[in-house]
Amino acid sequence: MRFLLAAALAVLLRAPALGDPPGAAPAPSGCVDCHLALGDDRVSPPAAAFADDVHARAGLTCADCHGGDPKAEDQEVAHDRRKQFRGKPGPRQIPELCGGCHGDAARMRQFNPSLRVDQLTEYRTSGHGKALAKGDAMVATCASCHGAHGVLAVTDARSPVYPTRIAETCNGCHGDSGLMAAHKLPSDIYAKYRRSVHFETLTKKGDLSAPTCNSCHGNHGAAPPQVASVANVCGMCHAIFADQFKASPHEAAFAEMGLPGCVTCHESHAIVHPTDEALADGSESKCADCHEPGTKGAAAAAAMYADLKRLRENTAAAKEQLRIEAEAGMEVSRIQFDLARADEALTKARADVHYFSPAAVEKAVAEGLAVTRSSREAATRVHAERQFRRKGLFASLGLIVVAIVALAAKIRDLERREP
Amino acid sequence: MSEATRSSSAVPDPAAAPRLSLGEWVRDRLGLQDLARLASKKEVPIHRHTIFYYLGGMALFLFCVQVATGILLLLYYRPSATEAFESVQYIMAEVPFGWLIRSIHSWGANLFVGAVVLHLVSVFFLKAYRAPREMTWISGVFLLFLSLGFGFSGYLLPWNELSYFATKVGTDVPAQIPGIGPLLSRILRGGSDVTGATLSRFYGIHVAILPAVSTLALGLHLLLVQKKGMSVPPSVERKGATRSMRFVPDFLLRDMIGWLIAVGLLAALAAFFPWELGRKADPFAPAPAGIRPEWYFLSMFQALKYLPAEIAGVPGETLGVLGFSLLAAVIVAVPLLDRGASRGKPSRLWDVLAVLVLIGAAVLTVLALMPPGKAAS
Repeated sequence: MRFLLAAALAVLLRAPALGDPPGAAPAPSGCVDCHLALGDDRVSPPAAAFADDVHARAGLTCADCHGGDPKAEDQEVAHDRRKQFRGKPGPRQIPELCGGCHGDAARMRQFNPSLRVDQLTEYRTSGHGKALAKGDAMVATCASCHGAHGVLAVTDARSPVYPTRIAETCNGCHGDSGLMAAHKLPSDIYAKYRRSVHFETLTKKGDLSAPTCNSCHGNHGAAPPQVASVANVCGMCHAIFADQFKASPHEAAFAEMGLPGCVTCHESHAIVHPTDEALADGSESKCADCHEPGTKGAAAAAAMYADLKRLRENTAAAKEQLRIEAEAGMEVSRIQFDLARADEALTKARADVHYFSPAAVEKAVAEGLAVTRSSREAATRVHAERQFRRKGLFASLGLIVVAIVALAAKIRDLERREP
Repeated sequence: MSEATRSSSAVPDPAAAPRLSLGEWVRDRLGLQDLARLASKKEVPIHRHTIFYYLGGMALFLFCVQVATGILLLLYYRPSATEAFESVQYIMAEVPFGWLIRSIHSWGANLFVGAVVLHLVSVFFLKAYRAPREMTWISGVFLLFLSLGFGFSGYLLPWNELSYFATKVGTDVPAQIPGIGPLLSRILRGGSDVTGATLSRFYGIHVAILPAVSTLALGLHLLLVQKKGMSVPPSVERKGATRSMRFVPDFLLRDMIGWLIAVGLLAALAAFFPWELGRKADPFAPAPAGIRPEWYFLSMFQALKYLPAEIAGVPGETLGVLGFSLLAAVIVAVPLLDRGASRGKPSRLWDVLAVLVLIGAAVLTVLALMPPGKAAS
């Protein structure tokens, strides 16, 4: 009984680190000192990295994950299994070890009340978690993505799970052709993603809301979206397109054919900037992949393409007219401002393609064409005004020259009269 | 005195007075014949530098163009941060011949400052500031400063990006004057930064204060020119008697040819290069590249850029501003400092100094106009 009380007291004395308020100084630990002093490449770097770890900053020590006695000066005592020393946890232990705290709402509330506590539950539903449960240890666990000892907050730009770094982190395994071949998965996903509009927006434009791997696959519950749910996943950001797709004849047809929405035309990872040519019958055509020439679908695609092309060309022509006038010094900013509505109409018409109905596209295009028509008429009036100015100038200069000649004649006449 | 005037003053009998045509009546009642007599007595010397006499008339003509076009612009211009840009846009695009009036006003401002500068330079080298014309010179230099004030205050009025940021830089310059500098800058801006309050202030300065002061200064300048007559350069004076022509009509007719050429030039510039409006000022946007003032401030702008941050513990910009102020004071005081010229002696030192200042200003202006990379190298 005495022994049990003493053990309980010892646990309580060691445990305060977890019970301490956030930000408390780490409890004294001999682990780091000893492991650093060893100068062993296997044990020293983790000890050094822990200084910057988010857990260390929250007051946790090595013993909170590895167990053992951090106060003991003797290695045997410190690594005593009777003192809950676990050593280096393996892939199978890591999710449960991390989940021990991160799944405990009461405990996590002490450190970050807004932090989610369902990571372990999600992980068990993920491709990684399921494979691990089946005994496959060559899958990602918590430490694979977050790191083991230098764990940083996800909001820290240095963290491997910061939005701009996630794809690279996933590629650490998913780019390994040997590992992926063993799991019957492709290893070129990252290369494809780098070509995508999402990668460009995220890394070149610095828009952290742009999607990366976890945005579509989930982070802890990472798994490929199922065929039926692809449109829902894309629709999280592209809500209008998703609604339009659902109202289109394609939804039922795709479901019947077992085709996923969105990615059938836009690809899954190499999602490049869509062009109007996807509707045409050239090499970039998407519609022609399914709709053979002469069919109703091909005719609809051709009609939508012709409408978009007409609006695009008319807008470009109006802009060019206005550019010429602006370069000649004419004030056309108001007309240029109005013409921006044609660009808006073109954007809307392109979006309306997702109805896959020529009538919907035609309506938006008609609105844009009305704007380009009035802009071009205005540009023509500006051009006529410019010509009028030129002619007026030459007429005025003619009058000025006549007046100068008359003055010169008068001066000469005065000079002749006076000696 | 005319027949009509004599009879009306002698016998107050309207029936006995001869009938006058409208023209005769106006001339009689305004006393124009007295002015005509005064003008007929004015003579302009003829020598190899006579052409420079036309610069004063040209500056006066361009000033009148600015007044006329400025009044027309006032009919549509709205002096507030929310409406100024749009009102100028409206003038340029919607008001009949608004583009012509605004472009002539903008181009005319540049030609006007150019004409005033050339007039001053020619008067300097022809030594027309010698006694007894010291006050004519001083009032003329004062008019040049007023012209620069017109240019500076008018530049902000369209409230576009370029003028906004150039005014920010420009109103920072007086702040470098030790003591009163910050207060002066605050008074100019109507606050700590360039805002709508600055625009209202500059508008008031541009259309009321400067025109009133300029009218007085111009009146004094013209009165002095009339009273003291036209100066003959010492080099011509030493050669003895010079020929002359009547101001009216001989000189005036020649002046008018110059004015007509100026009108043609302004019309051509307005038709082929309408004055750009740019984009509306956005105080929250970063300053665009290539911000610079009008050409007549470029040399000072560039010189301030070359000054080190500190010279002997004094901020470089403060020393620069004090240097420009000293130069302006020297220019004003030239007639009093150049004693030799007053005695009819050649003043080579002053000529050399003036040439050096002009070359320096020209080089700095060219450097300021060059792309940033090239100017630095």
